Amino acid sequence: MSDAAQNTDGLRVARARRVRDALLALVVLAGLASSAALSRGLASSRPAQLTERGDDSPYVSPEAARRMSLGFNGLAADWYWLRALQYVGGKVVAHEGELQLDDLSPLGLKQLAPLLDRATTLDPKFLAAYEYGAVVLSAFDHEAAVRLVEKGIRANPSEWRLRHHLGYIHWRRGEFAEAARVYEEGAGVAGAQPWMRMMSAQMQAQGGSRETAREIYARMMESDDETVRSLAASRIAQLDSLDERDAIRRVLAAFRERAGRCPQSWREVAQVLYAARVRLDRAGSPVDPTGVPYALEQQTCDVTLGRESRIPRR
Amino acid sequence: MRKAADFVEVSHARPPDADAARDAASPEARPASSSAGRVATIARNAFREAVRDRVLYNLVLFVILLTAGAVFLGELSAAQEVKIIVDMGLSAMLLFGVFIAIFVGVGLVYKEIERRTLYAIFSKPVGRGEFLLGKYLGLCLTLAVNVAVMGLGVSLALLFVKGGWEPLALRIWPAVALILMELMVVVAVAILFSSFSSPALSALMTFAAFVIGHFSADLKAFAATLGSSGARLFFGALYYLLPNLSHYAYITDAAHGETPAPAAFAGAALYTVAYSAVLLAAATLVFSRRNFK
Repeated sequence: MSDAAQNTDGLRVARARRVRDALLALVVLAGLASSAALSRGLASSRPAQLTERGDDSPYVSPEAARRMSLGFNGLAADWYWLRALQYVGGKVVAHEGELQLDDLSPLGLKQLAPLLDRATTLDPKFLAAYEYGAVVLSAFDHEAAVRLVEKGIRANPSEWRLRHHLGYIHWRRGEFAEAARVYEEGAGVAGAQPWMRMMSAQMQAQGGSRETAREIYARMMESDDETVRSLAASRIAQLDSLDERDAIRRVLAAFRERAGRCPQSWREVAQVLYAARVRLDRAGSPVDPTGVPYALEQQTCDVTLGRESRIPRR
Repeated sequence: MRKAADFVEVSHARPPDADAARDAASPEARPASSSAGRVATIARNAFREAVRDRVLYNLVLFVILLTAGAVFLGELSAAQEVKIIVDMGLSAMLLFGVFIAIFVGVGLVYKEIERRTLYAIFSKPVGRGEFLLGKYLGLCLTLAVNVAVMGLGVSLALLFVKGGWEPLALRIWPAVALILMELMVVVAVAILFSSFSSPALSALMTFAAFVIGHFSADLKAFAATLGSSGARLFFGALYYLLPNLSHYAYITDAAHGETPAPAAFAGAALYTVAYSAVLLAAATLVFSRRNFK
């Protein structure tokens, strides 16, 4: 066979291969597209089952999960942790209305305690899980929150910060003597911050005061968890706003006493408010820590949060 | 001129330990006249064979896993990305390593028998114990390279996630070394089973040994709760007989920046040497009784 004929044959074979490859690639693409479409169709045909699954109990007990993890317990703990975050996140997204991380009781988070329990049984040193439980669980399942953090203290006796979380749980419930005892105990742990002892004294003397609350939230600002820090910042802003509203109420009461009526607008008391160190906007209206003007209630001669305010109302 | 693909084909067609047989036969292989030299030659060739079989390709999958983890977990984990990267990286290191140790380990001896290269090796002055030890060390070297590269990957991922210095990048290394020790025990188990059983059964039994090795603490607790002294003795003996892999389980601690105590680390290293020696000696006993004629 001549060289020219060999070349022609070679080209024909090469072209046939290219066509075959292109066809195979097309089959792969078309197959993937159709299987994706089928999968989507099948999934959308049973949405009810999928939403119900959110509240399914974890299949295995914490101890069984630890045994079955075969040395991968850290990874399994991370999986339960991510599942807990996704569980809460999913409920928050589905919920309509204002929510604070430390009061998620409207969401009915039945599975949060079991998920955190599993995460901390698999990895008893998972401090973030204890902190999350202390902040979130304590609003609607006090006993579970206490159980979780006490378990953390037993597993990590040298972690003084866990006592701070336990003290916070008791403080939220108004159990100031118990909170003082926990803070005092935490202050005795090697390496504990000096403010732990101060907190103990403060709980003892004025557990329910705004100063104590401010101190607690200031300490929560030291958390590694951005959501906890953001909650603390929001609660501190709420405390600031409560102080501001008290100052404004005093100004309103003084005006009413002097003039025998309520001011028509904030402008009438702007100078007195300014002297009382209340922040004002350009129109002379007092503004809350988020920069939204307070509302003046003419009928009751009182101050309330503006409708646009992002300060927690509870 | 031959194409590169031809060379690949040739290298695949080569029997697994043809290099070892050639090295043992060649006059240049003088260092192999000592027992240590012969073991080193077999180990070197077992390593080469593993590389040729693309065992180290699992590193690509590992890098993809780690990169995806580093990029996406920051968003999902609520400031726990460092812990999760260490957990995920070291767990993947152990998992991939166990798969390599089991599936490559059980084939080390079997492939030589199957392809009849064993006859060429044993026609030279190579002892069966030397052969098994060489194979064991070769696979351990492969796993050491694998684990070292993966450890480096985890350290780099940590530096990337923190955007600067992260002490965990160094503190994970004792745990990485313990993972390698655990894999060395698994390889020894795989070699023991493969010295008398088929690859499929050996893989199954080695995997079972890996699972039971992580249940050993429960086995001891179970033995203590039994009423009959015979049963207690049996399960107590089983506890010491089976590999106790919980000695190497420091992944979770490493994720919290904790390193094993020097005594625990040294103890685990000694346990690896002692237990592997027992398994390899048992494998040699079984293997030396096998008739390949």
